[in-house]
Amino acid sequence: MIPRFSLARPRSLAEAFEAFAGAGGEGAYIAGGTELLQVMKMGFAQFETLIDVKGLDELRGIDTSEGAIRIGATTTHRTIERSADILAAFPGLVDLERHVANVRVRSTGTLGGNLAFAEPHSDPATLLLASDARVELEGPAGARALRLSEFILGPLATAREPEEILTGVRIPAARRGEGRAYGKIAFFERPAASVAVRLTVADGAVTEATVAVGSLTEVPLIVKPAGDALVGTEVDPEPLANAIASASAAFGALDAVEDLNGSSDYKRHLAGVLLASTCRAAVREATARA
Amino acid sequence: MRRIITRPEVPSPIGEPVPRRDGIAKVTGTARFTVDVALPGLAHARILRSPYPHARIRSVDVEAARRHPGVIAVVSAEDLADVHLVYGHAVADHPLIAVDKVRFVGEPVVGVVAEDAVTAEEALRLISVQYEPLPFVQSVAEALAADAPVVHERPGEQRPHRGFEEDIERGHPNVCSSSRQAWGDVDGAFAGADLVVEGEYRYPMCYAFAMEPYTSVATWSNGELTVWTSGQHPYMVRDDLATCFGLSLSRIQVIVPYVGGGYGSKSYTKIEPLTAALALRAGRPVRLALSVEEAILTTRGDAATVRLRSAFDRDGHILGRQATILLDTGGYAENSPLVGRKAANRLGGPYRIPALEVTCDVVYTNTAPASSFRGFGAPQVTLAGESQLDEAAARLGLDPLELRRRNVLAFRERPWARARGIDADLDADLTLAAEEIGWNEPTQPGHGKAIALSASDAGSEPITTSILRVLSDGSVTVMCGSTEIGQGSSTVLAQIAAAEMGVELERVRLIQSDTAAVSYDRSTGASRTTTLMGLAIQAAAADARAQLVEWATTALAPDGPDVVAKAGGVEIGDAFHDWGAIVRAWFGGAAGEVIARGYVRRAGATEEMPPFWEIGCVAVEVSVDEATGEIFVERLVTVGDVGCAINPQTAEAQDVGAAMMGLGMATREELVYQDGNLMNGNLFDYRVPRTTNLPEFRTVLVERGDGVGVYGAKGGGEGALNPVAAAIANAVERAAGIRLREAPFTPERVWRALRERDERLAAERDEARRAGAAAADADRRGIDG
Amino acid sequence: MPDLIAISMVVNGRPYALSIAPRETLADVLRDRLALTGLKVSCNAQVCGACTVLVDGLPVSGCTFLAVDADGRRVRTVEGLAIDGELSPLQQAFIDHAAFQCGFCTPGMLMTATALLEEHPNPSRAEVVHGLEGNLCRCTGYASIVDAVLAAAALAGGSAGSDAATEAGR
Repeated sequence: MIPRFSLARPRSLAEAFEAFAGAGGEGAYIAGGTELLQVMKMGFAQFETLIDVKGLDELRGIDTSEGAIRIGATTTHRTIERSADILAAFPGLVDLERHVANVRVRSTGTLGGNLAFAEPHSDPATLLLASDARVELEGPAGARALRLSEFILGPLATAREPEEILTGVRIPAARRGEGRAYGKIAFFERPAASVAVRLTVADGAVTEATVAVGSLTEVPLIVKPAGDALVGTEVDPEPLANAIASASAAFGALDAVEDLNGSSDYKRHLAGVLLASTCRAAVREATARA
Repeated sequence: MRRIITRPEVPSPIGEPVPRRDGIAKVTGTARFTVDVALPGLAHARILRSPYPHARIRSVDVEAARRHPGVIAVVSAEDLADVHLVYGHAVADHPLIAVDKVRFVGEPVVGVVAEDAVTAEEALRLISVQYEPLPFVQSVAEALAADAPVVHERPGEQRPHRGFEEDIERGHPNVCSSSRQAWGDVDGAFAGADLVVEGEYRYPMCYAFAMEPYTSVATWSNGELTVWTSGQHPYMVRDDLATCFGLSLSRIQVIVPYVGGGYGSKSYTKIEPLTAALALRAGRPVRLALSVEEAILTTRGDAATVRLRSAFDRDGHILGRQATILLDTGGYAENSPLVGRKAANRLGGPYRIPALEVTCDVVYTNTAPASSFRGFGAPQVTLAGESQLDEAAARLGLDPLELRRRNVLAFRERPWARARGIDADLDADLTLAAEEIGWNEPTQPGHGKAIALSASDAGSEPITTSILRVLSDGSVTVMCGSTEIGQGSSTVLAQIAAAEMGVELERVRLIQSDTAAVSYDRSTGASRTTTLMGLAIQAAAADARAQLVEWATTALAPDGPDVVAKAGGVEIGDAFHDWGAIVRAWFGGAAGEVIARGYVRRAGATEEMPPFWEIGCVAVEVSVDEATGEIFVERLVTVGDVGCAINPQTAEAQDVGAAMMGLGMATREELVYQDGNLMNGNLFDYRVPRTTNLPEFRTVLVERGDGVGVYGAKGGGEGALNPVAAAIANAVERAAGIRLREAPFTPERVWRALRERDERLAAERDEARRAGAAAADADRRGIDG
Repeated sequence: MPDLIAISMVVNGRPYALSIAPRETLADVLRDRLALTGLKVSCNAQVCGACTVLVDGLPVSGCTFLAVDADGRRVRTVEGLAIDGELSPLQQAFIDHAAFQCGFCTPGMLMTATALLEEHPNPSRAEVVHGLEGNLCRCTGYASIVDAVLAAAALAGGSAGSDAATEAGR
């Protein structure tokens, strides 16, 4: 059960930082609480004070007006799932959000909370990693932005200083001919394996490609050799299939975590299966954006 | 749903899909479960549990916990000197709280009672227990090793409710009980066989996952104990409470409100003695509500390894079966001695087997205790037996359906001497399953179909009573010890009473599962309630009608004419007098009632055992994703051979639910232990079926009036689960050419089998090419001379 | 000791003003303070859906939703589905199709299905299956639940979706 705690509900970032400082190291920021309250219930974390960031304007809203996509940290999975703006700018993210956890978690869980918690199987982290997203952090000492690859340090560990608040996520706009897709296979609540692909197609061939895997290794990971293997390939079915096969071979070097989903071998195999479908989905979008 | 009815006509409302009586309460959220029981002064308990699989308890320090504000009592075995701590209805080996050692991770060691649950939880962290870890055994193989650590140094005393007469045999110190079933000349059968199929099959440790975790509320008053509990067998619980607290049965009241799922996992005693002990020390009513994680550590299903050999003649007749079964019962015996016995009994299935030898050892390990669970040995052994029938069919070139037809027992044929003859037309059931699955229709490439059967000696023991009261307005109250665990007993039993007394269903009230208010029923399990409690109600109704006829004679027609019993009343000459009128006339006022009773015991129709056979008859069509190894059950057919479906809607519902549970166990469900710890004792990592796993169902209810119950009824609710794993294994073999012997058939297990198949096929092709090339060479050499 | 927080919320159309501890979940408050014991806590981990209630029309896990977050919002529970004692079409459909057995998952299942039908009044069978994917039931095997939701949708007007599988499933 949830242990006792005090709750602060600041109305500004300054108030939030003040509340955090006042908690003397026993405080934590909370948004939807779907992850944080769960670990508190299970006795894996104790905090005397929780600081609710849902009231902060800076963490709200979806903005696609300047080309790049900026999603406020307290935006729920459900809001992203239903956002017409995101559907136009980044349909792969909408599709991903539709399948995060379950309908109840999507109602209250936030994108910022998901990334800040850094659960190793995070769906958004994997796709956003491949999409070169940046997290925006703000603390008493100022604001900064970090690439997701620099932000995620390990399972449940990020580069966020304890007093900093993750205020939003900034994703580069999809360029002409760029497609981004995500796919996962799940046998239990969390995925067994997931793959994100971002690639650019020009004149019928892949000119750039980034492949990330999730739920395979300790944290979501960009697999550079897999992306490299896709570059230059024509997007016709046969050459694409060959390129995908070469790219999957790169997964062989991954140190896949053995768990209830299966052995390392099997999980690498699943990643390969996903790579095929995800690549094709990315190519379809890329072609549509030509 | 398809209904096949050849039984005689039945009186309304028998056979009608009347809406469930608990429906409005359940869809409006007003149905009361144990966790909804509110009492003044209710205190809340939390339990400190062992972190070790096997350890001596050296010391327990609770002083800081006792001083925590809001704590009422902190209780370990040391504080219960006045309580007989060890209980167990079959083998008394289970202390309600750990005494000198712990035998599994999660075993209760200290209980805290506080004003609220969060205070109790905080106090747990203030308790310090010193353990001396001991070597532990995590598997049956480890437990049976020559120098294995011993889980129970002293065997528990065997007890009268174990469910069988014979003494419990043990061998190795970690064997809890051994059972054996044997007849005929097994050696001869195998010596003379045209085909022997051998294999080892594994069935996982499963968790029933009743969505309501174990919850009990206990309160003491004037030395009398009242317990509300989410349990299936209030009278069995009462017995154990009597033993623990030295009370007569009459001074204990066990009340079971609606139960949020049972499936056998709430059979017999669970946390009631612990809750009562905490209430005793606290001097307050206490609620102990376990979390799902704690519930998983309280009771699970027996894991099984079955080594089976089947002998066949060339026409596919079974000549003999020989098997050894090992069941893993975890740290305590619970009901596993009976599960073991039933597993041995059920290995023969619904077949004529001239020679059989089965031994079943139930083995202690340092894991969570295993007890009753839906199927009760049948799912485990049916996987083995039905798999081997299909393997034999393939090797003999026979249709698996035809092979089964050649072996099923005939109606009333005894599976073994002195057992009740099969009370089902198995051949006809097979035909129905085959029709519904489209056995003779072409199967899509990549798909496979299979039919599987099981037969279980069900019904447990016929020890059941009922009280039926006819009130002064002619309405009827029936008192039954059966519990409503979701199966619909609260509706079905009322239907029976209404039919027997000839009164409208709306005028019948059923009072259930309060040991102080109703009369004795052994248990709600083994699919026995419709059959046995139905018979008790029928007997009570007959008693009521007999009294009412006598009363009518005395009060209304002492000098004639004859009184003739009719539905709902009597006819005297041309006049009809309803039951209420007779009651009022006999008492001479506007008041009074009839008290009638029915007894069911090992006599008459229920002398022969088992009371009935529960048949499992399912068919499946599956496809296999060759890339991931996932099995998709596309279609699932259940044939419910129930004799008479008192309420066809509830009967069908049971079959669908049971089959889905079987599907879960066959494809995904498995508790995994590592280093003595349960790795997936939660719903994140233990996967039960979702809506997305729902196959296309075809359900059939067959009613031939061939059971011993009212209107020829038999029981249901477990049969449809038992053959599902075997059916899926066999269908996968037909779809993908792989033979799976270890359930659950997880994606990786399937994927590896597919890769081995591919390697095998590639090797065979290479071999064929080499042979072909060599032959060509030889030909050439021959030609060249 | 943490301070109590004053909240106001409307539950099943009725306004409440409460003083609660931050740690109290919506399930705690509804069950223990407002005697709305319909919702049940089963897994307590947001997986099973037995504790589903609607907050401003959105399904949430009552076991992990802090009651303070319901401040100023409208909450609906299973007790609010029937109007003046008359069951909602969905509740009636659950009875007609025996879409329950033990009943423990039923309140949560009804709330999820209610929200689903409010958003998709005419769902296909596939949409119902996807919509209920996050609600566990261990008794029924789901077949009758899916049928009941489709039947309720059909009653409320219009055919039950164009998905041909609707027929095949029965």
